Amino acid sequence: MFYHNFKYTLKRLLKDKMLIFWTFAFPLILGTFFKMAFSNIEEKEKLELINIAIVNNEEFENNIYFKEVFKNLSNKNNKERLFKTKYVSESKANILLQKDKISGYIVLKNTPKVVVINNGINETIIKQVVDEISSQEKIIKDIINIETSNYLNNDLFKKNSISNDFSSSIYKKALKTIENSSIKLNDTSNKNLSYTMIEFYTLIAMGCLYGGILGMVAINQTLANMSRSGKRVAISPTSKLKLILSSSIASYLIQLIGVFLLFIYTIFILKVDYGNNLFYVIFLIFLGCLAGLSQGVGVATISKSCENTKTGILIGTTMLGCFLSGMMGITMKYIIDKNLPIINMINPANMITDAFYTLYYYNTPDRFYYNIISLLIFSGIMIFISVLSLRRKKYDSI
Amino acid sequence: MKSIIEVKNLTKEYRNLKALNNLSFDIFEGEILGLLGPNGSGKSTTINCILSLLNYNSGSIKIYNQEMQPDAYNIKKDIGVIFQDIAVFEELNVYDNIDYFCGLYVKNKDERKELIKDTIKLVGLEDFIKFYPKQLSGGLLRRLNIACGIAHKPKIIFLDEPTVAVDPQSRNNILNGIKKLRKQGATIIYTTHYMEEVELLCDRVIILDKGKIIASGTCDELKELINIEEKVTVEGIDINKNLLKKIRDLKNLKNINNHEKTLIITYQKGKNNLIKLIDFLKQENLPYSKIYSERPTLNDVFLELTGKDLRD
Repeated sequence: MFYHNFKYTLKRLLKDKMLIFWTFAFPLILGTFFKMAFSNIEEKEKLELINIAIVNNEEFENNIYFKEVFKNLSNKNNKERLFKTKYVSESKANILLQKDKISGYIVLKNTPKVVVINNGINETIIKQVVDEISSQEKIIKDIINIETSNYLNNDLFKKNSISNDFSSSIYKKALKTIENSSIKLNDTSNKNLSYTMIEFYTLIAMGCLYGGILGMVAINQTLANMSRSGKRVAISPTSKLKLILSSSIASYLIQLIGVFLLFIYTIFILKVDYGNNLFYVIFLIFLGCLAGLSQGVGVATISKSCENTKTGILIGTTMLGCFLSGMMGITMKYIIDKNLPIINMINPANMITDAFYTLYYYNTPDRFYYNIISLLIFSGIMIFISVLSLRRKKYDSI
Repeated sequence: MKSIIEVKNLTKEYRNLKALNNLSFDIFEGEILGLLGPNGSGKSTTINCILSLLNYNSGSIKIYNQEMQPDAYNIKKDIGVIFQDIAVFEELNVYDNIDYFCGLYVKNKDERKELIKDTIKLVGLEDFIKFYPKQLSGGLLRRLNIACGIAHKPKIIFLDEPTVAVDPQSRNNILNGIKKLRKQGATIIYTTHYMEEVELLCDRVIILDKGKIIASGTCDELKELINIEEKVTVEGIDINKNLLKKIRDLKNLKNINNHEKTLIITYQKGKNNLIKLIDFLKQENLPYSKIYSERPTLNDVFLELTGKDLRD
């Protein structure tokens, strides 16, 4: 009976053109429009290369760390290139600055000095990069000092005097620190530039929640007060729970296919970056679809309105939820998070979007798990209410 | 005969409206029971209560001596329902629709295949099994609706106005199908407001009006209730008050109704009433276009008992 209903629910849902449009086609179309609209905006708002000069005095030539970092940040082949750098004398740098050919120049004397004449974004960036390099350089120096003193205090050293291992080990540790720091610097700059990712995360959230329409339609077809066929199903000697479970699983399966198609489309066609945690991303999609399904089942069982009204409710709440979680601009998400956090705490679209966001931006899993647990609680409540309202159901009118 | 459905003091209210008012009746094994009444008389509500789809305020419903409940699956497996509205899936073809609903009752695939084959033959849909509902005419759609309700060979079948808006060919097909089902041993509860169908099919009739049983019995028993032997209709006649008075004085006459050049005369008893009337009209030299005699129908019974027509 379970398989019988599952098979025919799949057949029916897949032949419903309207449902297939909302589940499969609409998110793809919307995603394509997003790409067309936002990629232009992002291109326009992309940081332009900052013209700078570095005074190539002796101190700069001797500071390998500083030299390497600027070489990297000015490299034409580096996707995260920030600067167009000229290596000149201090007087020449001054002239360039006066003529407005550069935003600022850097002189390394005892401490690095940034010389600017204006106060803007470019100048701030130059200052921040120099500060960051200085602090990293200090860390490296500290490591070398600590390692050296450790080694000098070591008994083995006292017996064998300086060996090749000593310089090699310090060199490796310093190198590792440099590598880590440079990666950190690059990653941070990259992510801050690509803020439109959140629109695509809400798109996936929308895809997950739109799946609720499938669940709602599937359940409606088993409810005597909602459809003619539901009346026929209701008088059959089949457990309602079995019917609803098999219908729900069938709609969940179609929903997952729809969302994974969207997911693959966003990765390969729209070039959306979901970070490196693919397992968690997929887990999140499964859970997002469960939230969508339970929302659909909940609306189907709680509301006594007709199917079209229920579809309207699901589309409306999903769109509103996605809007509040940043679909039309990340600012909205910040405004709600700051002023009405309760809204986003109970908004499944935000839970999904925020979990994607967390996976991409943060290394700590706490906020991701918080969203996952919120989604589980949301789904649990919806399913519990649905089961309660369906048990041994007779109607006042049909 | 053994009673298989027992309805006692069934009352159902919608706010202030009593949809069913203290209904009590039995349905016996193997019979075709007609529930007759105008629209809104409570026929469908009665069926929905029996099927445990609707809540009711008071009373009890027992099938096979067991209280009917939404989860009384052992009773439900023997029930088939053909609803007034077409209840099929637009996305499934004829065969799949029947298979889906039959599959809710019969698990075994091979057994189901045989049942579906028999049902398709019974309703005459052999040439349409790959058709989708939207490709079918109204009559064929009704036949599919019936097939979905009876494919599992139920012992008790509820037919709720199955011939509404059906062409004559499909109507005959449906009525013949019902007779065949009865021959196969099914107990049938047939609701309609077409008294001709009731007279043709039903062993027993319950007449409902405003949620109340106003009469029950066989067709002949019901007709006897109103004490009408014959009904004569004269069409295309122009008659004055004096002549009307003379007709009223004719023997055995119970009632006379003159409306728009049509004269309807009901007689309580007696023989040769029609001949006597023709002689009278000839004697008075009164022209008319048509004259015919009928036995009273259930509509006359309803008219007599409620003062209104069944199709009002």
